[in-house]
Amino acid sequence: MSDARRPLAILSPLLAPLALFLWGWAAGDYWRFVLTLVATSTVIGAALTMLVGFARCISLATGAMMGIGAYCSTLLILHAGLPFPVAVVASALAGGVGGLLLAIPAVRFKSHNLAMVTLVFQAVVIILVREMKSVTGGAEGLNVAPPVIFGQTISSDLVYLGMAACFCALALLPISVLLSGPYGRNLRALATNEVAARAFGIRIERYLMAAFTVSSAAIAMAGALAAPRFRIIDPDSFGLHTSIVMLAYPVIGGMTSIWGGILGGGLMRLLPELLRPIADYIELILAAIVILTVMFFRGGLTEIGERLCPRRTAPLAAAPDAPAERATTLPAPRPPSHAHAGDALVATNIVKRYGALAAVDDVTLAIRAGTLHGIMGPNGAGKTTFFNAVTGFIAPDAGRVVLFGQEAKPGRVEDRIALGITRTFQHVAIFPGLTCRDNVIAGLGRNGVRQSFRRSLDRALWSAAARDEHEAASWALAAVGLRSLAETRADQLSLGNQRRLEIARAIVSRPRLILLDEPVSGVSHGEVEQIVTLLRRLNVELGATMLIVEHNIGFLTALCDRISVMASGRIIADGLPAEVVARKEVRQVYFGEIEDAA
Amino acid sequence: MAEFVMVILGGLKFGAVYALAAIGIVVIHKATRTVNFAHGGLVMLGAFATYVLVVDWKWPYWTAYLVVPLLIGALAAGLELSILRPLRRADLFTVVLGTIFLGTALSEAFRLAYNTELLAVPAAISGAPIFIDIGEDAAIVTLEQIWVTGGALAVGLAGLFLFRYSTLGRSMRAMASNIRGAQLCGYSVERVYATAWFTGGALAGLAGVFAAPSRGVSPELAVSIIASAFVAAVIGGFDSLAGALIGGLLLGVVETLSAAYVSSAAKSAISFVLLFLVLLWRPEGLFPEAKRRHV
Repeated sequence: MSDARRPLAILSPLLAPLALFLWGWAAGDYWRFVLTLVATSTVIGAALTMLVGFARCISLATGAMMGIGAYCSTLLILHAGLPFPVAVVASALAGGVGGLLLAIPAVRFKSHNLAMVTLVFQAVVIILVREMKSVTGGAEGLNVAPPVIFGQTISSDLVYLGMAACFCALALLPISVLLSGPYGRNLRALATNEVAARAFGIRIERYLMAAFTVSSAAIAMAGALAAPRFRIIDPDSFGLHTSIVMLAYPVIGGMTSIWGGILGGGLMRLLPELLRPIADYIELILAAIVILTVMFFRGGLTEIGERLCPRRTAPLAAAPDAPAERATTLPAPRPPSHAHAGDALVATNIVKRYGALAAVDDVTLAIRAGTLHGIMGPNGAGKTTFFNAVTGFIAPDAGRVVLFGQEAKPGRVEDRIALGITRTFQHVAIFPGLTCRDNVIAGLGRNGVRQSFRRSLDRALWSAAARDEHEAASWALAAVGLRSLAETRADQLSLGNQRRLEIARAIVSRPRLILLDEPVSGVSHGEVEQIVTLLRRLNVELGATMLIVEHNIGFLTALCDRISVMASGRIIADGLPAEVVARKEVRQVYFGEIEDAA
Repeated sequence: MAEFVMVILGGLKFGAVYALAAIGIVVIHKATRTVNFAHGGLVMLGAFATYVLVVDWKWPYWTAYLVVPLLIGALAAGLELSILRPLRRADLFTVVLGTIFLGTALSEAFRLAYNTELLAVPAAISGAPIFIDIGEDAAIVTLEQIWVTGGALAVGLAGLFLFRYSTLGRSMRAMASNIRGAQLCGYSVERVYATAWFTGGALAGLAGVFAAPSRGVSPELAVSIIASAFVAAVIGGFDSLAGALIGGLLLGVVETLSAAYVSSAAKSAISFVLLFLVLLWRPEGLFPEAKRRHV
């Protein structure tokens, strides 16, 4: 396993500024000047990997953020006489504030509308810089004095490069920690499946705000570092044009790891220097490279690199479609603590209307703790709507939901996981880009932004908490029989295995109540039996109550202790499986049988 | 008062061009679900083609109205065929990235071909301006103004009717709401996508022809047009052609008003402020396409 090497992998981005410094040492002054700018570009690339690659927010405000950093540090040095390093840190803070200001309205939008809001921000910042002539010097620009540290003016290009490399390393480290830890994984999770992300406590808006803040802070810092190299800063250097050029960094480099942004930023900044003779064509070339990347190598440079030298950790034995090993009984790390008497779920008089249609019409249902309770009914009976009302995905028009004696307010979905409730989805809702293990770890909860920051640090230090998460995921994967596929990407699994993976994600937090929405739809006959065995065993071992919505009657009668039948938004029968299925009104509604004596 | 009327009329002229560009964006988006950030580049190339025809080759101006839309339409269809086809299965995120850089490539190609800052194109129509008496003053309206406003609006309205009532329009709408269903009903994806891009491109080209005399031709035209056209489309609800038309006119008037009575900086900021406010308070636009009904 790659576990022992993990802290080193997180430190590896620091090699980039180190390499640039060593190169600058060997090279002449002109290259030292260029490499300083290359170093700042690697930071911008890494920051955009977080925002564009992981969170999939197209930002056209990169230039503005850089400008905020550059103007902020220059003005602080000029007017407040701050030492250069302090001014750089202060401008990073200013950039963070700018990013947050942009994010507050922006995160409500997606794709092109989000891009437009960032364009608005970009345009307004540049207009402000241009208009506030007395402060910023307007369109003519502002002279940047050479940096001063401890009273010493830095005139050597090498010293400046060294200092820039140190700052870049300082910026790359937290980005690397966040991106390779739970924060980065959750960002990718919410970018691929918002509904599932919310079900496991990932609050999308907050995550995106954090992504905007962190990346903007890093970009502003890069701007502050680059400013003395520009000698004169003017609004044009930070225009939309710059934003678009920088947007190319993560696209070309690759959007799935921090190395993508570092490589993309570094190489794209070097390219104009290497192609000096045809410098005029550089932007056309850049645009062409991006278009080709988007068309043919969507993974970017990092994917091409991985394809050329495949990583050793890829599980060779486990072909993605191999049948999962038999689910094994493992001693549960913790004893089931919820041996709970009474009712797990009491739903009283739930009503949900869509216009004139009452999808759920006054449903009252009590589920005893520890039981397996099935809900069946024809299409459109209101099963899923009821389900969504219980899990908080929709707010019912009337009625109350009591979970383990505690009233569940129809508030946020994200809070349900804290009550010990998890769910699976009718249409498989895994996080496709993540490995099976990371999918399961997302199910552990504690996904608040601040918690995920702390967990990312834990993960980087490979502390006990992170090892526990790792073990818990192993346990859940083993429980559903996917242990050997732990490091495989979830989208490479067969449908049956994806359903198992969803179950693993639902059980890993050891919930008291698990809601399964059509867990065997589309699953082959043989696998249905395995899932029956699996769910029964989990019910016994975890002591978890399960509420299962299904069409497959054979599956429900084999699995459940009790079954309720819904039709037209109402519960028409409730009782032991065999008894319910035999009832005349159930047969009538469900199988369309017509009474003989009509 | 006369000044005010002149400002409004001037605004309508710019607005009509925005509207034309915005309708092109909406047509492409409605039919293919592609948000075309390269549209500004197409408008700029339309203005550039006008320059080549009228100034370089000394053709009569009216030929530009026929040749340029065909040319830019064909170019747009060609771009769809060559570059956006492989992206058809990709998500919106990837497509938006693709078209952003496509737009950059178009304006860069122009900049390299003609290494000048700004190319001037003469007015399409010259003649004595018309004086309209308002109270004591008189508002001056040039024939150019009337021609651009009227012409662009006529084309916009024609596009609107075409989309709503022709078979082609129906096929585009069908394709947009359910691509598989439309295919099963016998509409060809290839043909519909190609026509949508051709139509959108032709509208962009026309917008370029109309804009060329007053705006000149420069790479900046691409950025300023795309921003304004987007704002117009968003104001209109992004999926409504009529909305884009009204949004364009509204934006043009608001821009010139703020330039005349506030400052030129306010002019560049106002469209963004407008966009921001619309997105924030009415993301479905001021003129949303048919309200969704619940049964």
